[in-house]
Amino acid sequence: MAYLIAAYAVFWAISFGLVGSMVLRQRKLQADLRVLRQLVGDEAGRSE
Amino acid sequence: MLTAASAVLILVALYLALAGAPEANLKSETGRFAQRIIYFHIATAWVGFLAFFVTFVAGAAYLRTQARKWDRVALASAEIGTVFMLGVLVSGSIWARPAWGVWWVWDERLTISLIQFLIYVGYLMLRSSVEDPSRRARFAAVYGVVAFASVPVNFVAIRLWRTQHPLVFGTESGGLSPNMMFAFFFCLSTFTIWYVTLMWHRIRLERMRDEVEELKQRLV
Repeated sequence: MAYLIAAYAVFWAISFGLVGSMVLRQRKLQADLRVLRQLVGDEAGRSE
Repeated sequence: MLTAASAVLILVALYLALAGAPEANLKSETGRFAQRIIYFHIATAWVGFLAFFVTFVAGAAYLRTQARKWDRVALASAEIGTVFMLGVLVSGSIWARPAWGVWWVWDERLTISLIQFLIYVGYLMLRSSVEDPSRRARFAAVYGVVAFASVPVNFVAIRLWRTQHPLVFGTESGGLSPNMMFAFFFCLSTFTIWYVTLMWHRIRLERMRDEVEELKQRLV
């Protein structure tokens, strides 16, 4: 029984690890995108 | 929608694997419990192989068309496949302890699986070590195409050599009996949908990364 629990715990840990890393990367990219879009918008406004 | 469907299907698959599927015809209680590991173990291996096949196809398509979208697909699939192969190695090792009495043996199937995992870790390391995006995509595409050779070798290893690893179909020891097949194929289908879901999110992530790079270039 312990081996069964261990195997499925590993499966969940790996799955959540993958999903978690994707969520963290997405959050970081969204934050970067927000800032960059604002900067590009400011730049475009200045050049007009 | 796809994400929610995957989550529900995984819960059903988990129920089938742990309780719904019939018990294996084994003498020891430990062995019977351990046998339930294989539903997820094989499905995980299937996703690993499928992911590496997609990396191979996407790599070949990139070399033909030079379209960035194929590089995104190849990267996403290789990353997911590598993670799933890690799951295969660890869950297989946990199954081996009660079944064989050891965590690991250097038999052909296990050794090839470990090498395959390391090959794809190498793929991800290669990508992170090349700065120029077009060179990175080209190198990775060639690597992904060549690395795929490990998949058929791994698949036929248990048929070519007499390894300790059991055959899933058509064996008397360690294989699946016909009444276990529903749970087995349900898990296989669920993991395929799970893979598609992960791919969708991972490719979206890569598109966002491209957009960030594009905006940075505009500012520069």
